[in-house]
Amino acid sequence: MKERYYAGFMSKQPAWMRSLPMLRRRLFAYVVDLIAIAYLTTVISFCVNAIAYDFKDFVLLPWWILLVLSVEAAALWESFGVSPGMKLLGIRLVDVSRQSRGSAIIRRTVRFLLWHISALPLIGFLFASEDGRRALHERVSHMRMADADELDRDLRPWYRRGWFLSILALAIATLLASALYTEVDFYAFFTGASRTGKWWAALLTPDWSIFVKGFRYLIVTIFTAFLATAFAVAVAAPLSFFAARNLATGVGRRLAYTIIRAVLSVVRSIEPIVWGIIFIVWVKVGAFPGILALFVHSVADLTKLYSERLESIDYGPVEAIQATGARRTHVILYGIVPQIINPYLSFTIYRWDINVRMATVIGLIGVPVIGQLLYQYTQLYRFRQVGMLMLLILATVWIMDYLSGRLRARLE
Amino acid sequence: MLAFLADWMMWGYLAYAAMYLLNAYWYTMYVNWYGTLTLPVWGWPLVVIATFELTVLGHAFGQTPGQALFGLRLLDQNLRPPALSARSRYLTRWHIEPILKLFRRNSKRHLDSSHAEMRLVDEVKDLMPAAKPRKWYKTHRGIMVVALLVATFWVGWLVTEIDLPAFFSDAPRAGYMWKALFTPSFEHLLTPEPVIARENPSMAPIQTTILGGIIESVFMALLATVVGALIAFPLSFLGARNIMGFSPIGWSIYGFMRAFFNIFRSIESILWAIIFGIWVGFGPFAGSLALMLHTIAALGKLFSEQVESVDPGPLEAIAATGARRWQVVVYGVIPQITPSYLAFTLYRWDINVRMSTVISLMGGGGIGRFLFFYKNSVGFIENNWNQVGAVVWTIVAVVWTLDYISGRVRERIT
Repeated sequence: MKERYYAGFMSKQPAWMRSLPMLRRRLFAYVVDLIAIAYLTTVISFCVNAIAYDFKDFVLLPWWILLVLSVEAAALWESFGVSPGMKLLGIRLVDVSRQSRGSAIIRRTVRFLLWHISALPLIGFLFASEDGRRALHERVSHMRMADADELDRDLRPWYRRGWFLSILALAIATLLASALYTEVDFYAFFTGASRTGKWWAALLTPDWSIFVKGFRYLIVTIFTAFLATAFAVAVAAPLSFFAARNLATGVGRRLAYTIIRAVLSVVRSIEPIVWGIIFIVWVKVGAFPGILALFVHSVADLTKLYSERLESIDYGPVEAIQATGARRTHVILYGIVPQIINPYLSFTIYRWDINVRMATVIGLIGVPVIGQLLYQYTQLYRFRQVGMLMLLILATVWIMDYLSGRLRARLE
Repeated sequence: MLAFLADWMMWGYLAYAAMYLLNAYWYTMYVNWYGTLTLPVWGWPLVVIATFELTVLGHAFGQTPGQALFGLRLLDQNLRPPALSARSRYLTRWHIEPILKLFRRNSKRHLDSSHAEMRLVDEVKDLMPAAKPRKWYKTHRGIMVVALLVATFWVGWLVTEIDLPAFFSDAPRAGYMWKALFTPSFEHLLTPEPVIARENPSMAPIQTTILGGIIESVFMALLATVVGALIAFPLSFLGARNIMGFSPIGWSIYGFMRAFFNIFRSIESILWAIIFGIWVGFGPFAGSLALMLHTIAALGKLFSEQVESVDPGPLEAIAATGARRWQVVVYGVIPQITPSYLAFTLYRWDINVRMSTVISLMGGGGIGRFLFFYKNSVGFIENNWNQVGAVVWTIVAVVWTLDYISGRVRERIT
């Protein structure tokens, strides 16, 4: 064990303080296991409810049974195997007896039973120092938690280890529950295909009479995407300098960095369609709320992309320019901007691509872009017109995709 | 030829924009609000000829954006920019040439006499004498790009009816909504929403709560991402140039897969929800199928680009041992692409979670059901904006958490 000292090398840390990091890891591992088992139980009880009782509910057992079950199961797991929490925090249970007294199974059982007395009421942890004054359940069973890095590696292949199997169990249970929750219906999937036959036929024979009408809406769509992207770049490019961690030095900048990042991650997690709903109430119905919705989301997304690029700049040129005694603005202008201009353009084109696609669907909430027309015709079940509009969207997205791909290839 | 077309389109676009602006400010021409143009009969040839002439002028006397895009340049025999007289001869010859061609085949006279010729820059780059570049705002290209941008902004501003005064003056009017959004009322987070429960008697109580809605959204995204990634994985090899080889069968499979990816990727998953709603009935299953289809297409494209950019060294080494093609793929390609596949899948998962919150707009199920219900119940439910606030904040909390986790995982695997 590495010796750690107070600053100044005056005296040794007391034993209880040295054992704190390990204690913290053990506690965290236990909490992780508790959450994992509680989650697994909940998901499985949902599956049981849905399959056996044909009723969707996550509650099968009273909450106190669930609690006791999770507490016991987590302790059992940590005593007899490697739990996901132990894997995550990098700790293992090791045998510390000189000569193995009694079989390992019995000692593990003893540990598990005594754990209820010494660890569960949280008293035992107070004695978990490294000077031999270990907790009751560890002293009697001659087992202790140790850092996984200090031990021999487990030689079993990854697919036979406990933590992998447990993650597999979690994944399968979750997938099963989600299939049950979302009412996956293979019968409908295979028998319902014929119902869409008319739809596909209509889609393949588009109604060209609304081509001009659709094209007008398409123009608005493209302008919406363009203006939203352009305005977003104008805001996001300067903002990204305040949202980059490496440029945020000093208390004020640090505060600005934290606030900007927090606000933007909230903004980014809301879809443009939801923003559109808000802005339609704000300004009157039209293409303008669509622009604002795409703009807000693009600012958040672009600022994140930009500032991540800023965080990985090369410091050589920056230091060289600083060494000439240049001012901060000059350092940014001549040291940082040349490095980021091409990635910035590339990100912008990428975002413009997304905005064109999003602009086609933002019409669903009433913005007069091509999605609105699409929505109206869908509500009327006039699929030949829908097919025409989809064809227009397809052509636009393809052309934009091709152009932006060409431009981006030139930038790199 | 392509360069000419591109330039011509740019001039045409400028002409259109100019006419649109003329209409918007002086009503000299009839253009309706989304831009249908009505011209007198003689107007169309005039416009076509004028834009044609302008394009040729640009080609003869400067470097146009179209030329720059396709790497063309007008140069004389010494590979210098031609003199003004040579340029004007090029211009006149350009008009006569098609007529001359009718009478004399293989005529190259306009090239010989003017000594100015269109050349590919890449071919003569090393022979070209270094010329001092002009300031960007003095070149034809720079002016053209600026003109295009100005026209686009100007027309775009009018087309989309941007109304900044409304943005600021209506802020107080929208103030009550903002206030409500920031004071969310979580009363139906755990208790069923009565109206939705009444309208959908087949739903379990948990599905009519906001918490149940967000669980449904997350489960839809999960199912779509996992199954979509599993399907996209084998398809991505079929869509990769270097795996499919250059045999006719390989070509056709490759082309087919690429077309499939592109078609289904171009249309947002929210629109696919319509088809699947008809197919399997509107509900969360239709939503997750729609997300899945878009996921397969988007991931298939990203994946196959990864496959195309693998390091060929290990592949050749394995092929040299006499391995079959599938063995080369399993032992040479897959180990190289696994980390980026996982990263892309996680990235897609983020997108799907966000999209699944609104896919119910087209009948896809999920938390969007509550969002649009509360939004539409202005006047029916007293505190409907507070309820919208609750839904939005629930979405934010869940999406943000999942984003954060997947971001951390992505950092670790790449």
